[in-house]
Amino acid sequence: MSNIIVAQNLTLSYERDEEIIRNASFVIEKGDFVFITGPSGSGKSTLLKSFYGNIKPQSGTLLMGGLNMSNIKKPKLQELRKHLGIIFQDYKLINEWNVERNVVLPLWIAGYSNEVQQTQAKRLLHHVKLTGKGHKYPLELSGGEQQRVGVARALSKNPFLILADEPTGNLDEYSSNVIWDLLENACQQLETTVVVVTHKIPSVFNIPYRHFTIDELGDIYEVH
Amino acid sequence: MRFIKSHLSLIFPMVAILMGLEFFIAFDRTTKGYEESLKDSYAMLVVAKDEMSIDDFKSWDKHIYKVAEIEKSKIIDKVDLPFKSSDTSNIDKDMPNFYSIKLDKYLNNKELEQVKRNILKSDRVTRVETFDTLHNSNYGLFSSIKLAFQTFILFMTIIGFFLIIKQMEVWNFMHSERMKVMDIFGASLFLRSKALIVMAIVDAIISAIIASIVFYTIQNSWIKGNHIAILEDNIDGLFSIDDLLTLSFASIVIVLIAVFLVVINVKEE
Repeated sequence: MSNIIVAQNLTLSYERDEEIIRNASFVIEKGDFVFITGPSGSGKSTLLKSFYGNIKPQSGTLLMGGLNMSNIKKPKLQELRKHLGIIFQDYKLINEWNVERNVVLPLWIAGYSNEVQQTQAKRLLHHVKLTGKGHKYPLELSGGEQQRVGVARALSKNPFLILADEPTGNLDEYSSNVIWDLLENACQQLETTVVVVTHKIPSVFNIPYRHFTIDELGDIYEVH
Repeated sequence: MRFIKSHLSLIFPMVAILMGLEFFIAFDRTTKGYEESLKDSYAMLVVAKDEMSIDDFKSWDKHIYKVAEIEKSKIIDKVDLPFKSSDTSNIDKDMPNFYSIKLDKYLNNKELEQVKRNILKSDRVTRVETFDTLHNSNYGLFSSIKLAFQTFILFMTIIGFFLIIKQMEVWNFMHSERMKVMDIFGASLFLRSKALIVMAIVDAIISAIIASIVFYTIQNSWIKGNHIAILEDNIDGLFSIDDLLTLSFASIVIVLIAVFLVVINVKEE
C-alpha cells in the first residue's frame, strides 16, 4: 500500500493566533475511503482545502502524493491539482459552459484533444446517468444533476485522489444515494482514494471505510 | 444583449483613448509642418566687423545651419542718402558686414537668447538682432494652441482610462468564478485568462478599426468637402494607414494591462 496523504503534527490556521487544526498526524493510503466528520466550524473543510493547497500548513508536515505542501511552488501545485478530483457542496460548475464542457474541464486543462474530450464526456455522462444532457447548461439542471456533473468532472481524468466537501449537503435522499454509489464505485473499481468531508455518514454504505473526526478544539481522532 | 453591452463598454472608452492618441499623432505631424514654415520664414541678423564663413558661425552654435551675406549695396540702396552716389563707395568700405542666419529648427525664446550669447562671444561680432518680439508672438500663439490641445487629449485619455477601469471591475465580476474553478483544477495563468485575453484583443482591434475609420472619413470626406485651406494643406498628416497599426498596438497593450490587472486580482477561495 502506498501513502497518498501523510500528515505529521499538522497545524492549520488562517490567522497566527487561531489554530483550526492542531497537531494532526495520520496516514491515508491508496484505495482508502475516508470520511471526515465533526461539528460545524471544526475545520473539516479547512483540512480538505489544505489537501489541494488552498491553505498552507502553519507548522508540521503535510505530504500529498509525496509533495511537501508547506513549500510547494505554484507550477508543482498546478501539476498536483491536475491529478485530483474535487467535488464541492455548491458544485462550482462554470455556468456559462454547457454540461459537456464542464465535465471535461480537467481534460481541457491537461491539453487532451477534442476527440478524447468528447468520447470521455459521453462515457462519463452515461456513467452518472446524464446521457443526453451534455448540451444543457448547469442552471437548467436540478441540484442532484448538477452534483452528478461535479462527480463526472472529478472522475474525468482518473484522479489518484478524490476530495469531496459535503457532496450531498444540498441534496435530497435519492440524489445523495446516487452520489454515494458513484464514489463507492470509483473507490472499489478504480482503487481511487476518496476523502469525504461530511456532517453525517450515510446510513447505508456498502464498502469498508475509515472515519476521522475533528473535535471543537481542532484535534483529529480516528474512530475505530 | 449583455454580451454586446459588455463589449461596447470596453470599445467606447478605448475608441475615445485611441482618437485622443490619433489626434495627438496627427497634431504633432501637422504642427511639425507649421514649425518648419515658421523656421523657414525666420532669420537672425548678425553684424560683424570682418568677413566670415559659415564654418565660423557653425563653430559658435550648433543650431546655425545656413548663413547668407547681405550685400552692402542693397542696404545702401534702401537707405535714402542725401549725398551723391560717388560717396557711397567710401561708405561701403567703412560699413560692417551683415549676415542673415537661418536656424536648424524653431527655437523657443530661451534657446534663441543662448544662440545670441554664443554668437556675441566672438569679438568680431558687434551686434545680433533676433527680432524676438515677432518670433515670440508667433511662438506663443503656437505653443498655447498646442498646450490647449494636448490638455484636452490628456483629459479625454484620463476619462477613457476611468471607464476602462470600471469595465475591468465588471470583467472581474464576470470571469472570476470561472477562473477560480479553473485554478482549483490546476489551470495555468494563461489558460485561466485565455478567454479574457482573446475577448480583449478582439475588442482592442475593433476599437482601432473604428478610430481609424473615423479619421479616414474626416480626412477623405469632411475636410475635402469643406475647402478649408489650412486643413487641406495638411490633409496627408491627418491619417495614414500605418496609424492603424500604431492604434492597434496601443490598444492591445492597454487591454493586456487591463486583463493582467483583472487576473492578478482574482483571489483563490
